[in-house]
Amino acid sequence: MASSAPLTTYASLISTFTDFLTVAIHTILYERAIYPQTSFLSARKYNYPVRQSRHPKVCQWINDAVSAVEAELLTCSVDRVAVVIYAPESLGNEPLERFMFDVSRFPVIPAGETTTPFEQTSGNVAVDIEEQFRATMSKLSVCGTSLKHLPANCTFTVTIELKDDEPDKGRLNAPIGHPQPWVPVPPNLQRSKGARKDGADLGGVKTTPVRAVEAGECVFEMWIEEGKAKQNVATRAEPSSGEVV
Amino acid sequence: MADKYNEYLAVNVLNEDRVVGFPSHSPLAEFRCANDRGVVQVSYRSLSRALKVHSNLAKHMLYDFHHKQTAKKPGSVHATYLIAGTCRPETSIQANEVNGHDAEDSVMQSSPPFRSSSMPQQEESVEEDVAVKLLLLAKEEDLEEAKARFDEITSVHIYSLEPTSLKDLQVLSDCNREIRSKYSSEDPLEAWKQYGTIQNPNVKACNLLILFTIYTDSIIEKIKSQATASSRTTTLAKDEKTSNTKPGDDTKPSRRASGSHTPQAEEAATPSSKKTTVKAPTLKRDKSDIFKSFAKSKAKLITEDSAGSAGASSAPESGEPSAAEDEPMKDVSEDEQEDDFVLVNSKDTEVANRRSKAEKAEREERLRKMMEEEDEPMNDAPSVAGMDDSQEQLLTQKTESQQSAEQEPEATTTVSGGRRRGRRRVMKKKTVKDEEGYLVTKEEPVWESFSEEEPVAKKVKMPTAAATTAKGKKGGGGGKPGQGNIMSFFSKK
Repeated sequence: MASSAPLTTYASLISTFTDFLTVAIHTILYERAIYPQTSFLSARKYNYPVRQSRHPKVCQWINDAVSAVEAELLTCSVDRVAVVIYAPESLGNEPLERFMFDVSRFPVIPAGETTTPFEQTSGNVAVDIEEQFRATMSKLSVCGTSLKHLPANCTFTVTIELKDDEPDKGRLNAPIGHPQPWVPVPPNLQRSKGARKDGADLGGVKTTPVRAVEAGECVFEMWIEEGKAKQNVATRAEPSSGEVV
Repeated sequence: MADKYNEYLAVNVLNEDRVVGFPSHSPLAEFRCANDRGVVQVSYRSLSRALKVHSNLAKHMLYDFHHKQTAKKPGSVHATYLIAGTCRPETSIQANEVNGHDAEDSVMQSSPPFRSSSMPQQEESVEEDVAVKLLLLAKEEDLEEAKARFDEITSVHIYSLEPTSLKDLQVLSDCNREIRSKYSSEDPLEAWKQYGTIQNPNVKACNLLILFTIYTDSIIEKIKSQATASSRTTTLAKDEKTSNTKPGDDTKPSRRASGSHTPQAEEAATPSSKKTTVKAPTLKRDKSDIFKSFAKSKAKLITEDSAGSAGASSAPESGEPSAAEDEPMKDVSEDEQEDDFVLVNSKDTEVANRRSKAEKAEREERLRKMMEEEDEPMNDAPSVAGMDDSQEQLLTQKTESQQSAEQEPEATTTVSGGRRRGRRRVMKKKTVKDEEGYLVTKEEPVWESFSEEEPVAKKVKMPTAAATTAKGKKGGGGGKPGQGNIMSFFSKK
């Protein structure tokens, strides 16, 4: 899956990251019981046991979503990638949890240079990154149980937040045009810029850090946010199974 | 030293709310951690290796820590228990049905590998009650339920500790991977006393090279015996298999190229018996490949074998092995597989007796010459060595015959049920790192089996120049010296 020389070029860095993202999404679906646990089979990735969904449509959807993320990543305009979990229709369809991947620290490369090797690559990057991915997976699987319980029949999606315009660097990231497939981030989730303060809901009610991965040029952070809506939902709905987490 | 465990466990298990180095500008700046490995669960084995204590002591340590922490703050540490005992088949089946939580109890296969899930089949075939030994990994909340499954419990102990309940018990396997990677340098014959691993008192330290020799020779012997019993074509097909088991190995193509296998038994046998030159490096390369096959699954070996039998042929006697021959070969190889993995040393004795003494004497001499080149002391295992000699001779012979024959294999296709199957040669690129750290990319022909929809069966023959095969072989030999190849197998794991 990953290129034979991971992290030496921007393209290979993105490809490594998207592989990781795919595995992470499958793991999140398993841990948060979005789909029944029996629909997952055990696989190994990065020398670590992970869970992968067996349903072909789910896999297809995830692959499509991740390719869309990859396309955006290649243009170096992505700030964050989030896997958002929504409450079921019956409980208001509000976002309950967000699994954030902050990729703003990925290198910014001009369009033509995606396959140019980076200047310095520290030795043994392949092993290092694997170990970090393993640690992230392991952390993710544990975090799943420390988060508050989710109601049954939640849905999920993958969202991308783009970077703000950086006119001084000559980058206009905001995809404004007609027709506009992108939506602006709701004000309560926008980050501070100049006089504007952080959105009120940024960071959610509770943030659980997962891991900061740093291997060569691949630097990103991952954390989990639980939203206000989750508190409300928890009081309204009953947990689906009797287990108290 | 014993008190260190509290510290170790506190750092590794309780550290869950501190996460590795978020940089200062990040919103999560306040979270920093000394635990860079991100260890989440600690098993008794990893604890014993880390603190250099006996495994049983490590189990006590885990229990003690768990006890203390839950007394201080309930739910701060979660334990996974390992329960061993016997159970009745009916109880286990019922328990499986009643137990609604699928992923929680998993049956370990390390010791008596009776899976309770396989009991239903046994029940049907076996009429009497068979007591089943069961090893069960259970989370602490399911402990009582798991205990109820057993008729008689021989032992219960804590297997691992983690900060919260694990949804997927499989992550515990990561502890073993960690042990393998960190502590593989320790000599098991000394470490076993310290760690309390189960040890066979009759085991002797054996040099790897000799180990390979014994194994490969036993295979060769088996091949020979079965060849004499059934047909000689089988012999050479097995040769192909044993020396060419790992697909994509860059030394393999050369051997496959020179592989000799024909439908005509007599012609096939004669070339092999003619070759006698001894080449130590070649031998080592073969052994390393064979060792790789040793670790590979049976299925793979069987497919390789059937593929090999379908594909190889000698240049002078070119003929297409018929589909019918594939079956007998497959059967024989399957039988052989079972035997090999279970009994290696016992077969040596059996098979060696069948050899003619004249051949043996001849080969022993040659082998002695070769063995003198190597460093290991043969003194402690004279009987084994005697057999080794003769068997190594055979191995060298076969390899030599293959190489010096320089025969092109024939890519064969068989048609069955509207699909074209068989083996063909494909150019594949292989990038290897040689001992100086240089990446060497070689494009080499490799056998692969294929299965295609094809109305017309075509005989695909891909002649390869002898020069290129020789070059490929030498390149492979130079790029991967034998000893380094063997050790790299270990270090990868």
